[in-house]
Formats: sequence, structure tokens, C-alpha cells
Amino acid sequence: MALHRLNCLLPFRCTLRQTRPFHGSGCGHPLRAANQAAAPIESVRDVFRTSEGDPACHSEQHLGRFYTLQPAELRSLFPHGLPPRYQQQIKTFNEACLMVREPALDLIGCLKRADYTQPSLRYLLYGPKGSGKTLSLCHALHYCSSQGWLIVHIPDAHQWVKNCRELLSSSFNPSRLDQPIQAAQWLRNFRVTNEPFLSQIKTTERYVWSKRESTDAQRPLGELVEQGVLRVKSSSDVVGAVLKELRVQSKAGAFRMAVAVDGVNALWGRTTLRRTNKSPVAAEELTLVHNLRKMVKNDWHGGAIITTVTQTGSLYTPSSAYLPQELLGKEGFDALDPFIPVPVSVYSEKEFESCYQYYSNRRWIQHPHGRAEEGKRELDFLCGKNPSLMEKLCGFL
Amino acid sequence: MAASTMCTVVSSLSRNNCHVGVIQMLNPIYRGAAYSSALSLNNGVQNKVSLRGGGQRTLGRRPKRESGEPRTEKMSVDQDWTSVYPTAAPFRHSAVPLPVRMGYPVKRGVPPEKKGNLELIKIPNFLHLTPAAIKKHCAALKEFCTQWPGALDSHAKCEEHFPIRVKTTEYVSAGLSVRNPKARVVTLSVKLSSLNLDDHARKKLLKLVGERYSKNTDTLTFTADRCPLRKQNYDYAMYLLTVVYHESWKTEAWEQQKTVADMEEYHWENSPSQKNVLDTLLRMKGQGEASAADREELLKSSAIQDYRDSITRLKNEGDNESTLQQYRESVKKLFNL
Repeated sequence: MALHRLNCLLPFRCTLRQTRPFHGSGCGHPLRAANQAAAPIESVRDVFRTSEGDPACHSEQHLGRFYTLQPAELRSLFPHGLPPRYQQQIKTFNEACLMVREPALDLIGCLKRADYTQPSLRYLLYGPKGSGKTLSLCHALHYCSSQGWLIVHIPDAHQWVKNCRELLSSSFNPSRLDQPIQAAQWLRNFRVTNEPFLSQIKTTERYVWSKRESTDAQRPLGELVEQGVLRVKSSSDVVGAVLKELRVQSKAGAFRMAVAVDGVNALWGRTTLRRTNKSPVAAEELTLVHNLRKMVKNDWHGGAIITTVTQTGSLYTPSSAYLPQELLGKEGFDALDPFIPVPVSVYSEKEFESCYQYYSNRRWIQHPHGRAEEGKRELDFLCGKNPSLMEKLCGFL
Repeated sequence: MAASTMCTVVSSLSRNNCHVGVIQMLNPIYRGAAYSSALSLNNGVQNKVSLRGGGQRTLGRRPKRESGEPRTEKMSVDQDWTSVYPTAAPFRHSAVPLPVRMGYPVKRGVPPEKKGNLELIKIPNFLHLTPAAIKKHCAALKEFCTQWPGALDSHAKCEEHFPIRVKTTEYVSAGLSVRNPKARVVTLSVKLSSLNLDDHARKKLLKLVGERYSKNTDTLTFTADRCPLRKQNYDYAMYLLTVVYHESWKTEAWEQQKTVADMEEYHWENSPSQKNVLDTLLRMKGQGEASAADREELLKSSAIQDYRDSITRLKNEGDNESTLQQYRESVKKLFNL
């Protein structure tokens, strides 16, 4: 009897080994599946893809379709700009695919038509949580980069007003506070994104950092950035100097600049930082925030300012708030006014269909019920066509 | 002794023959034994002898008097109900000819009937206030009333001629005293549209009055209860209305210090938004400093007017699809996109 039982069990065990349940990202089957399948081929059946990789050529006919970002571009353009879940998805699928959507196309259209001898226009992306504001911003930045613009990308302004270990008193202005670690990290990423410009742009005046260190005029910007990365103590002031130089020189018309701030409502909100004597720090008392506010003003020309307002990561705001005035507050709105609001909504029918097909194609939806028509309807109902919710839900199917 | 021998006999019987009903058999015999002994002693004399253990019946109770037919059987369908329940009275099941049931039903049962139902007696009833009873009350009160003026036949006319409404309440109860302290409360309500107020007066009045104004119904309500008598409270409420009205028309010196935070609605003139947009347009034109005339000219352009409307709407109404869309269009127009 015992032998019989063993024989019965063995075949079960074999099948169990073969079909391991799928959990999380970047493990086992999907990577292998992706590697086995060739790099995305434009087949007649792949309606959800488009081979047009240049954002400048995207138009209405590409709406709802995924285009692929080249790995080299990705590394240089977005060292820190993409949302963490999307970065995981890139690692899992072995490709970076972005959906062409209405708000991003609108933005790119405005960027194409704008007059760059006029003061820079401000664009504000707003929408409910998880609707795709950050990725639309990244799409627009891809366009700017493909046109050869200089990119100043602050991936999440909220990170500069909370969870800061070290706050140094600024040497330049004693009432302000420096954030050396954040500034140094940002400078490193800035260097990665704008390598070609660092040698072209020259400083216009002399900066003195300490008794022994200074940067002369007519030195390449790269040197300034190096100074900030190496000497972490003065990195916040270096950021201020870099931004000032860029503002002054883009006016001259040598290059175009795109300033992208994700979570711009952090600049006019509250902070959770405290000084050593436990008194709270206001946002304008931080050097980085002060300099960024100057950057977002439209007193320079030769570029565009693209921003988003997010509740995720923001401090002291209710989780249901997503409209511009609610999140920016009176001060922020008056500072950003006049701007062009760009609403980002959840997926439409077509976009949802496209996203579902993409996930099916990438074998992200593992459960057999998920691949059926009824499963698709269930998914639609559960996530309410919200992009981030859908991504989270599909991962467990 | 007799009982015990009978017991042993019965027990042997039970062991031989029957399983069922042993205990039942025993009891009647016990009772029977008890009965026999008792009856033999007392034949006609009423004597209360209670049996220890077992039996629950007490002997010699007063026989329960049979209750007669309830009055509901004798009631006719077209009787005068107001005489059955002329005043507020507790529920009498024999006087109410309705098959009412009330209470929580037992398992697989129905709510208990009205006979002997405490729940029906506990609750207040309005059996004394049927429409027929009300009619009688009205007929009795009519001789104390005067005729409604014929000219006031619509609500609008009443509002027009009598904009102030005064509400008072009378309390009648039977008790040691007829007076009720709640009767001194006087509520005075008036619609602001019937008052002659200009813009400044209206805003000042709303600030003075605060919570007493309801925006939905445009009504100002004063409730006075601080004086002991109704007349005094009425006079006080009228005084409040007069004083608030006259004060709102006056402009004090310190009202010049009204800040932007005090404003009820958004004014675009001299706001940061106006400054921003003018600065932007001047920068667009390439002029550093502009004269007042230039600014005036800029302000008159239709693009700026559109922008001004959209901003005012956005700030006053808050964010929603239509206001943001309008703002978007106006900004695009401003920058010629």
C-alpha cells in the first residue's frame, strides 16, 4: 500500500515543480520568456505597439500604443526620473515601453508650437492618483532630449522637504539651511543626463566656495558640477550657482532648457524638517527650494517649465486632493500663475485594451482566468481603468 | 404507611411491565394519596393546605371571576369614536376594536395579541386625535378666530407685505402651574432680498450676523430667549434687526484696513495674478519698465479680459473641469498657442 501511494504522489510532485506560482517582479519565468522571445518584433498582431521611437513624430494615430525607449537613451536621460515601480517593470520585461497618451501629445504639441523668444511657458500636469502624470512628464522630457535640449529634472521635489538627515546652516545666507546629500545626489544625476553640455557652457562669473576653493569665470560648467559632487558641504550652493548660470545663458539663446519638476506643490507646502533646536523649518528657508522657486519663475526665456502636482509623497494634504489649487495652495498658485493646466485622466477603453494586451503579450498575466474575456472585464472593474492600480493588480494574477 | 406500601407495589409492577410512564404513574398516586388524606379531613371547610415538594396547586383559592364580553363586541361601525377616546388615555384593549398585535414573536409564532399586552399600553397613542376629533376641536376654536384677510391669497403677497416672520410657541399642559419657561422664546426671520442693502452694507451685515444667515434660503434668523417675558424677547429681536441694518449702512474708519484675507470673493484688480500677467506680457514685448498708459492699454485687450474672467471664476468657484478648461483656453490665447 505504501508503494502505491508513493507512485501516486510522484507525478504530482513533477507537475508542481514545473508550474511554480508567479510572484513579484524579476524572477524566474517572465525573464526567461522574454529572453526566449526575440526583441519586440512589429508583427501584424501587435496592434498595441508602434515602431515609432521618436517622440517628435508621435501623433494621433499612435494614441494608445506603446513605443520602446532605447536602453542607451534610458540610462542617460532617466538616471533618477522614472517611478520605482516602472523601473522594476523595465527590469522584468527587459524593455522600457511607454504608452502614447493624450496629455503627453498635447504637451509635446504645445512645446513644438511655442515661441522661445518669449518668457518660458509653464505647464502643470494634474490628475487623480496613479493616472500617469510622471510618465507623461517623462515622455515630454524624452521629446525635449531628442530635440537636443538641456534637461533639468527634479524627480520628486517632495524628497527635498522631508526625511533629511543632515541640515547644515548655509554659509552663503545664515538664515537658510543646506541639504548636502540631496544636492550632491542631484548633481551627480544632472551630470549623467547632460554630459555634452557640461563642456560647452562656460561660467560667467567667479564663485568663491571657501578660502582655498573657487571657480573662475569662463570655466566649463562641468568643473562647477565636479566641485559640488566632490565637496559635498558646498553642494547646495553649487546647485544654486548652476541653476543661475543656466537661466542666464539660456536667455542668450545658445541652447534650450527644459525644467521638469515632479511634485512642484512641495515647494510651497510645509516641511517635516526641524532645526537642532526643534523649531520647524519653512520651505523657503531651504536653499534648494529657494533656488528651485527662482527657476520655476518665468523671468527667463528659451525653454519650458513642465511640472506636476502630486498628492503621493506630499505632506499634510488629504489623500483625495488632486486638483491644482487644492495641492498648490494660494501661494503656490499665485507663484505659478499663468500656467497651462494639462489634465491627465485614467485609461480610456482603447488605452485599457492596449495595456491589457501588452501585459498579456509580456506574459505578465499568469492566471488562466485573467487571459479570458471575463477576466479582462473583472480586471477592468477592479482597477477602474487606473493605470497604477491595473499594474499592481496584474502582478498578482 | 399506606402510601409507602402502595409505592412498593407500584414499583414492582413497573419493573415487570412498563418502561414508559413510570414517573408519571408515580405522581398521580402520590397526589391521590395526598388528596385522599386531605379530603377525608376537610369536606366543606375552606382550608389552605399546600403539599410539600411536587405539587403546585394551592387549595381553597378564591375562584377566578369570569370576565365579561369586551366592549368591542358591542361597538357599531358608525359609532362616535370621539366619545370613546375624548382625551389622551392609555390603550385599553377592550375598548379598541382593532386586531392589533405587538411585540417580538416566539419561535415560529406571531407577535402577541393585544389582550394583556404591556407593550401597547407603554407606548403613546393618538387615538384621541382622529380626524373627526380634530374637526370638532377646530369647530370649537372657530368662534375665537377672525377671518383671514381676503387680499392675501398667495404666498408671494404675504412675503411682500409681511417680510418679517415672528414665531412664538404656546405650551398647554395640566399640572401644578400653567406657566412654561419655553414659551418666552421668540424667533424672527426675514429675507435679505426684502431689505434695502447695497454691496458694502450686505457684506458688512453678513459679517456682523455670521451663523444666523442661511445662504440656501437667503434668510436671516434671530432667536431671542434671554429675557423672561415673550414681549421683552420680541422687542429685543426687533431691536437687533434695526441695529444690524443701520450699522451695516455705516462705514467706519477702521474698515479701510480690510485685507485680502478678509475679502469674501476674489478681486482681480491689484492681485498678484494681475501683476504676474502684466509682467509676463511686458517681458514678452521686450520692455523693462512700462508707463501707466501702456499698462492700461494692455489691460483693455480682450485676451487679458478673458484671462481675468477665467481667473476670477477659478478662484471663486474652485477647481472643476469647466473652470480649468476655461483657464487653459485663456492662457493659450494669451501666449498665442
